[in-house]
Amino acid sequence: MDKLIVSPSPHLHTKTSTKSLMRDVVIALLPAVVVSVLFYGWSELLVLGVSVASCVLLEYLITRFLLKGKCTIGDWSAVITGVLLALNLPATTPWWVVFIGAVVAIGVAKMTFGGLGQNLFNPAIAGRVFLLISFPTYMTDWTKPAGFIGNALADGYTGATLLGIAKEGGVKALEGMDYLQTLFYNIGGSAGELSAIALLIGFVYLLARRVIRPYITLSIWATVAIFSGIFWLINPEVYTDPVFNLLTGGLMLGSIFMATDYVTSPMSNWGGVIFGVGIGLITMLIRYFGAYPEGVSFAILIMNSVVPLINKVCHTKKYGR
Amino acid sequence: MLKTFSIGGIHPSDKKISKDCKIEVLPVPSKVYISVAQHLGAPATPIVKAGDKVKAGQVIAEPAGFISAYVHSSVSGTVKAVAPRKDLAGNNVMHIEIDVEGDEWAEGIDLSEDIVTDIPEDNKVILEKIKLNGVVGLGGATFPAHVKLCPPPGKTADCLILNGAECEPYLTSDNRIMLERSKEIVIGAAIMKQVLGGCPAVIGIEENKPEAIAAMKAAVAELQASAKGYDGISVMPLKKKYPQGGEKQLIDAVMKRQVKSMGLPIDVGAVVQNVATSLAVYEAVQKNMPLITNVLTVTGDCVPMEKQHNYKFRIGMPLSYIAEYAGGVPEEAAKIISGGPMMGKAIANLDATTVKGSSSLLYLTAEQTVRGVESACIRCGKCAEACPMGLEPFLLQKYARNNMMEELEDNAVQDCIECGCCLYSCPANIPLLDIIRIAKGDVIRIIRGRGQK
Amino acid sequence: MTQTVIWTIAILVMLGVVLAVVLYIVAEKFKVEEDPRIDEVEKVLPGANCGGCGQAGCRAFAQFCVESEDMDKCFCPVGGNDVMQKVASVLGREVAEKAPMVAVVRCNGSCENRPKINEYGGHQSCRVKAALYSGDTACAYGCLGCGDCVAVCQFGAISMDPQTGLPVVDEEKCTACGACVKACPKNVIELRNKGRRNMRVFVSCVNKDKGAAARKACKAACIGCSKCAKVCPFDAITVENNLAYIDYTKCRLCKKCVAECPTGAIHAVNFPVIKPKPAAPAPAEAPKPAAPAEVEKPVTKEE
Repeated sequence: MDKLIVSPSPHLHTKTSTKSLMRDVVIALLPAVVVSVLFYGWSELLVLGVSVASCVLLEYLITRFLLKGKCTIGDWSAVITGVLLALNLPATTPWWVVFIGAVVAIGVAKMTFGGLGQNLFNPAIAGRVFLLISFPTYMTDWTKPAGFIGNALADGYTGATLLGIAKEGGVKALEGMDYLQTLFYNIGGSAGELSAIALLIGFVYLLARRVIRPYITLSIWATVAIFSGIFWLINPEVYTDPVFNLLTGGLMLGSIFMATDYVTSPMSNWGGVIFGVGIGLITMLIRYFGAYPEGVSFAILIMNSVVPLINKVCHTKKYGR
Repeated sequence: MLKTFSIGGIHPSDKKISKDCKIEVLPVPSKVYISVAQHLGAPATPIVKAGDKVKAGQVIAEPAGFISAYVHSSVSGTVKAVAPRKDLAGNNVMHIEIDVEGDEWAEGIDLSEDIVTDIPEDNKVILEKIKLNGVVGLGGATFPAHVKLCPPPGKTADCLILNGAECEPYLTSDNRIMLERSKEIVIGAAIMKQVLGGCPAVIGIEENKPEAIAAMKAAVAELQASAKGYDGISVMPLKKKYPQGGEKQLIDAVMKRQVKSMGLPIDVGAVVQNVATSLAVYEAVQKNMPLITNVLTVTGDCVPMEKQHNYKFRIGMPLSYIAEYAGGVPEEAAKIISGGPMMGKAIANLDATTVKGSSSLLYLTAEQTVRGVESACIRCGKCAEACPMGLEPFLLQKYARNNMMEELEDNAVQDCIECGCCLYSCPANIPLLDIIRIAKGDVIRIIRGRGQK
Repeated sequence: MTQTVIWTIAILVMLGVVLAVVLYIVAEKFKVEEDPRIDEVEKVLPGANCGGCGQAGCRAFAQFCVESEDMDKCFCPVGGNDVMQKVASVLGREVAEKAPMVAVVRCNGSCENRPKINEYGGHQSCRVKAALYSGDTACAYGCLGCGDCVAVCQFGAISMDPQTGLPVVDEEKCTACGACVKACPKNVIELRNKGRRNMRVFVSCVNKDKGAAARKACKAACIGCSKCAKVCPFDAITVENNLAYIDYTKCRLCKKCVAECPTGAIHAVNFPVIKPKPAAPAPAEAPKPAAPAEVEKPVTKEE
């Protein structure tokens, strides 16, 4: 005891820090990462490596030399962006396309707004959407590279996502396909969409560690289920069913990891519900009536832009009022 | 299902290391310095001067306003000086310095150990005794007790809530008095309840103190069986959640009513008093004993078990004397706190002396208490989730930094109870409460100024 | 094809006309009658909106000038006498010259003079710190060192000296708007007149403790010994609450008090450093008052 410290109350502080929260998200992503690497092998490892490395490196370079401020790579947020971006791309994406995605994610979507906490759009989604629009051929090349396990599962695989099949050929084209298996594996699509179970394990972990609140994710699921349920009941010949819509495409990845991003989602619980309903609705509108087979990332981006408005309207319930 | 408040709240550490340490009586030092500002409101006016002989329990300073309180000498001896001295925050406050000689007590004080269960019938006598014996709220705010026990005209108390929650980690003084002075506390509650017009009284205790809950229940049952005037007193276990002992939170938990913004508990028919205050009321009314003693916990993670103590102290004892008596300040202590770790005050000057409301000497290590480096807000909303008043600290701090007074008022900064939940839970170490506390003061001043116009 | 073009143009023109009429009506209806001189006065003001004049901003000040009878009450500290001359000429009035002022930090409690006795661990803000306790030194009156004055200065005239932990005023940039004076919770900063050739003598301490306590807390504290008041030939120095104060309207810069002060609490700044020989007879005291002058001198030259 040299000199006593004097500071205003409170004198205790939670052990949870920005860093630990972000690290928890990375841990929650691990099951999905492991599964995708096992199934897609070296090429997925390359995508992941390039994505994470370039995100972290770009953040370092920008904070250090462009903004000349404090270097913020220690908070793990760039790692999350890197992993999420990689999981949002097909395993076959060439490394330079991944790098361009990272530049857009970190350089444009995150740093131009002022870095962590200031960005309006989820960096990983912004990167993915940029690539989807700029390099549609690479972004929809769903051929399966040789993985470490599960190569036999790819037999008879047609090189299209289930959502793509449904979009092209309608519900009839799905006939005879056991798409409940998508709960466990779902070949075709972005690397992170491989296994719903792996993503759900991450969701449970995030909830258990109190990293995220469930409102956004659950309201997305509920909206998608109800919306598609109504259409499916009206005409099951034309519209795909709720279970199919929940399990396929990027819905799980988007609703659990991307829509719940602190910075780009509303702060209050009610705001989260509105946000989730919006994402669910837009996703389903794009899936049923849009030009693209999948719409989760567009839906999240669109709703990201509404977040400041939602925050203005939705406030917490105050004591005594 | 245990009762609790409805909005926010956090779960800081549940440590009550010294909960089994019996209350020991601190010996009187050779000198005491008694502050005249031991209560909320105007500092008392000293009525003794250097050279005067005083006895223990004798009035040495008189209230200087409606919200103010009597101060009594805690020892017998000679007044050495009436002069400014630094309090625990290092600010100069008038102190009465007394050289201790012998142990003589002022007349009329019942020094026996007997428990007096018969309550005086005249409420005026009771209130006068509470006032003359300088009883103030011992839950933290040290608000003069007699003022709180006289509801303004047109308002009646529906419930007296006795606060035994002791929701702050580490503090155990309330726990000890509930175990060792249970009956006296219940008698104090019965006295206050009678003054308030016979409303029911509820003693709220957090579930992490099962012994105290049992002891208080037993005391209530015994008194109800043996004497009159103890009906309508009950013990209510409460969920462990901080800030369960906050006045507004306790009212919400016990009565399911919420005090309006800028309102007083009595607006919803509630009067909240701490269990220690109840004990002081008992002493004042039944034994004519002024409030010159209280119980204080000496604790901390870096304090070995044999140096953990609950002391009965007299006001005016230097904190350094108590620390020394308890075995010295531990090497690892980086911060010493008077009060709990969530709302207590960090001690800048250990030569400061005990006051009526002193409740602890809490040693925290650097690892526990040093704040992390502030980083950018990641908009996680954990502060808003934690706030027991349902405020949005992230928003308030932004407005406060930009001096946006209207927005601050619209977002109810004036309702902040300074519990520290927001700053506790912020992962980015943003000094939310530091900033909001200042803004709250500014906004309340604006609101008050408007009322006067 | 041509028809489409014609229609487009016609609709756009009609829209333009209708909206112009609406705008005109609204502008006429809600027109606020204002003295045109307010605009004129505002034009000659610096436009910093600093609030140093006591008004909400430059426009409010312009309105205040136009409405008030007494020009003595109106003074723009940023623009100074030049601007006030212009304002007066716009309004066709006379204005008296005012002595230019400058912000003066009245604390010399550097880390060396005033040892720390505890460590502050809260938000770096003087207001927060002052509301919490007396500060991290034994002096309960002096500078808290968190730089609220630096943050509030719109002219970049105050900076923290990392060596001493005290704010330093750049006299060239200081406009005497008084924002720092208001921001300082300890009232350490005071506006004083700039003085002849920027030469000033002031007590660089605000400690009201008794001599022994003040001295113990800070080597450079005013101990209220009144020696300066006795030696002052112009009755410019008063000692109240153990603290000396030099009235700058009476001070004639003779520097007798500087030599007399036993703690070096009285500072004389911007005096030529080498020339003064009268200070020589008191060699023991001479270095002390000279020291602060040397500290401050390069700062004013710097920028």
